[in-house]
Amino acid sequence: MGPLLRQDIAAAGLAAGSSVAERDRDLDTIRRMAGGDSSALGELYDRHGRAMYSLGCRILSDAADAEDVVQEVFSQAWRQASRYDAQRASVGGWLLMMTRTRSIDRLRARQVRPAATGDVEATLQQQRDPSPDPEAEAVTTDAVARMRRAFAELTEGQRLAIELAYFDGLSQADIAEQLREPLGTVKTRIRSGLLKLRAAMVRE
Amino acid sequence: MDHESLRELSGAYALGLLTHAERRAFEAHLGTCAECTQELRELTVVTESLGRMVEPRDPPARLREQILRAAGAAPRQRGRGTPFWLLLAASLGLMAVGGYAALLRGRVSETEATVRHTERILAAADVKRVDLAGQEAAPGASGRAFWSRSHGVMFTASGLPALPKGKVYQLWVVTKSVPLSAGLLTPDGSGHVMAVADMPPGVEPVAVAVTIEPEGGVPSPTGAKYLVGLV
Repeated sequence: MGPLLRQDIAAAGLAAGSSVAERDRDLDTIRRMAGGDSSALGELYDRHGRAMYSLGCRILSDAADAEDVVQEVFSQAWRQASRYDAQRASVGGWLLMMTRTRSIDRLRARQVRPAATGDVEATLQQQRDPSPDPEAEAVTTDAVARMRRAFAELTEGQRLAIELAYFDGLSQADIAEQLREPLGTVKTRIRSGLLKLRAAMVRE
Repeated sequence: MDHESLRELSGAYALGLLTHAERRAFEAHLGTCAECTQELRELTVVTESLGRMVEPRDPPARLREQILRAAGAAPRQRGRGTPFWLLLAASLGLMAVGGYAALLRGRVSETEATVRHTERILAAADVKRVDLAGQEAAPGASGRAFWSRSHGVMFTASGLPALPKGKVYQLWVVTKSVPLSAGLLTPDGSGHVMAVADMPPGVEPVAVAVTIEPEGGVPSPTGAKYLVGLV
């Protein structure tokens, strides 16, 4: 497959958290980070930190672990800003991908170690961040709401298969076992589910 | 497999679920099928967005500050441009590293951060030393690593041969099950190099090694071993 081009991402009509203008702004921020500008790191956090933290919480069900993961990902992004490849993913997509990977790594590591201690303290200390940019929020809310609705409308088999793969990091064999379905069925359900989500995203 | 059955794999491919053999077959098919390539592009956009559908949660306000503070103390690139005399000083603990760091502040912030990280590793209660011996490809080379489960790994080497064009040395922390990349190494003109790296939590190294790899590095070692040391 050729690289996933930014035009493709934009043309897909996907406004999930990032308009073209926001992508350009992210690219500029990454360039400044690569040049050592730490204020750029703060800006990137303000734009994407909340989404990353939310994803970490969803995968790990533990606020303290999610916090660690987000910190690790920004540390990696800071060190590797010069290696970011705009042809492969949007900046937001890149950060979320690293968040997911690290969260699932932790999830797996947890299975061979005693359960993490509770997150009561972290939860108690939670405070609201400054409000995000209203314009960005408007785009995000609309697109995400459409995706979420479409996700809720998937068949149970489609939804579970995608959830187990994406949020729990299970292999296709493990998904098949959990759902008690043949491997082929799992693959078909995942594809048809993703195609439905895709259709919902480009729908006017 | 024909187009119909390969096309069924697109969603699982986009989510990284395929077995090695399936992935190979699907990727080979992509080279010849515009329809599947297009579908995969579209599905990749979907999978890239799945993480945004979760219930939003507000991170604690302290997280932003922690991230910025950590960045202030972390180098963006490793193993490059740090003068060996300084690394030697740091690694042997012969000099007051902090003093040098202060001298350099504002001028070579990356070096300073490297030194600070080095200092933390060397001062860690759980620090261990690993000596690395030159292998067949570089009998004259030698290296030393200090690793701390809590603070990461600090590595120095000397006598490494000059790199051919398009190649780079890569440092590995080898656990029982898997080698973990600890960064890329580009020695200076006299074959010296130094690097510091974080380690993921829970890592229990059994060896530290340096291999030669294509520029940009690789996820698992492929090239000749230049240095190896057992923990």
